[in-house]
Amino acid sequence: MLISSLGQGLLWAPLVIGVFITFRILDIPDLTTEGSFPFGAAMTISLMLNGQSAFTATLMGFLAGCLGGFVTGILDTKLHIPSLLAGILTMTGLYSVNMHVMGKSNVPLLTQKVLTDYLPSWATEIQTIVLGVIIVGLVILVLYLLFKTRLGLSLMATGNNKNMSAANGINTDGMIIFGYTISNGLIALSGSLIAQSNGYADIGMGIGTIVIGLASVLVGEIFLRGRNILVRLSAMVIGAILYRFLLTVAMGLGFPPDDLKILSAIILVIVICVPIVRNKLKTRKQLKIYLSQLTEGEQDEQITSVKRTKFTKGVLSGDRE
Amino acid sequence: MLSVQNLQKVFFPGTENERHILKNVSLKVYDGDFISVIGNNGAGKSTLLNTIAGTLSADAGSINLENKNVIKKSVSYRSRWMSRVFQDPKMGTAGELSVAENLVLAQSHVRTTSLKWYRKKGQWETFQELLKPLDMGLEDRLKTQVKYLSGGQRQALSLLMATLSKPKLLLLDEHTAALDPKTSRDVMNLTDEIVNREKLTTMMITHKMSDALKYGNRLIMVQDGQITLDVSGKDKQELDSEELVGMFDN
Repeated sequence: MLISSLGQGLLWAPLVIGVFITFRILDIPDLTTEGSFPFGAAMTISLMLNGQSAFTATLMGFLAGCLGGFVTGILDTKLHIPSLLAGILTMTGLYSVNMHVMGKSNVPLLTQKVLTDYLPSWATEIQTIVLGVIIVGLVILVLYLLFKTRLGLSLMATGNNKNMSAANGINTDGMIIFGYTISNGLIALSGSLIAQSNGYADIGMGIGTIVIGLASVLVGEIFLRGRNILVRLSAMVIGAILYRFLLTVAMGLGFPPDDLKILSAIILVIVICVPIVRNKLKTRKQLKIYLSQLTEGEQDEQITSVKRTKFTKGVLSGDRE
Repeated sequence: MLSVQNLQKVFFPGTENERHILKNVSLKVYDGDFISVIGNNGAGKSTLLNTIAGTLSADAGSINLENKNVIKKSVSYRSRWMSRVFQDPKMGTAGELSVAENLVLAQSHVRTTSLKWYRKKGQWETFQELLKPLDMGLEDRLKTQVKYLSGGQRQALSLLMATLSKPKLLLLDEHTAALDPKTSRDVMNLTDEIVNREKLTTMMITHKMSDALKYGNRLIMVQDGQITLDVSGKDKQELDSEELVGMFDN
């Protein structure tokens, strides 16, 4: 069970990292996710059925997602549509696109070689983990290097303070479009990997992915916190794996698959609240310690000041009382 | 250096809330000018500065910077020649980023999408040298996220950042208004020192008559969308506070 959630979690990790880029770096909740995830899956499966290799198909799946993100970026920055709505528009439009790409609502693979088939013939779960580690490792490496460049810094600055970034010569619209693009590319990459792992692409596979993504981001941040970008990206992978694990546990407890969506929603609510409550408790505890030190200090001070008053009285005003 | 001609700006045209904020404003700023801009609330000072910086688009007229008409250019393009300090200390810095990262952003306003590493050798020492004269202990806090700094520290950093790229034109929009009296004075002194040292051409909006009179070689007053007073040199020195306040009523 642990092994399978590890493998699945790794395949979901690019999606979580993608959501992290829009949600945490650019500070935008991007709903394009729900469309670009199945877009990547549809593209990959259709291309493979048309005789393309799994490598080409996966790459094309990634690029398809990039395109989706690019469109949302244009809607958001150039047409000034609020980001939430821009995401919804692209997501809705992509539903039709995905139907056209797939031809019908569910397309299974036949005998095509998926990415894991290129690995030595280990057990499927081991293959999934190895493939996941390779891809996630690559994604993290590229992003880590990206955030060390001036481009990465400009991206972070734009998400943090748009006015200031523009005043410092950064093309903020370009940066936001760029962020949407790579984010959705990664999300589609996850879609492509999951479709290959499941052996089919389905028009409904995008439903709830934004909730899964956000919940994983927050779960990851609960377990691993830091400012270093490498730590933050690793936290996303941990979040993805833990989230899969939570779902597997829930399924083990006997929840039917149909209830997984509401479980996802509940988990998201919980992980949003946990850091808030934790911070409150921590602040209260620290405040208590601080205040108790303060009152102790005050008592000392009062004693000394009382003594001092006596002393001054003695010197300045004689023994007049 | 900067020449603004027949600038017009109308907000909400065609509605009952229509407001003609800039009425055919023309202004020439010469190299080395340090201009204090004063005027009532809503007179159009900030609008003038915003249209020069590009955050607001002008409805008509031209803005020539170094003989280039920049009226249709973006904020980021214009930032090659001009820098700004905002009234709100939070506006001029990126709170989530460290002091050092903020300084890197301010160092150069071009090639912001370069794939070169943004950390460079010797950069750390350069930044420490830069921050030491502020005497705020920032030189030891280069790694601190800017959101943990006080308002005064953030504003001093904003000012330093705005002048780091040696802009042709420095725009200050009531940059001391949100600070307490002492910090406000410190930041103002720092401004004067940097502007004089780097010989920066500066436009500064202020509501403090004393600052407007004390600093700079030129003073303009904006009233009801027009420049109603433009004095420089000796004429400016002879002005006094009461005289100025009196002019507000006209």
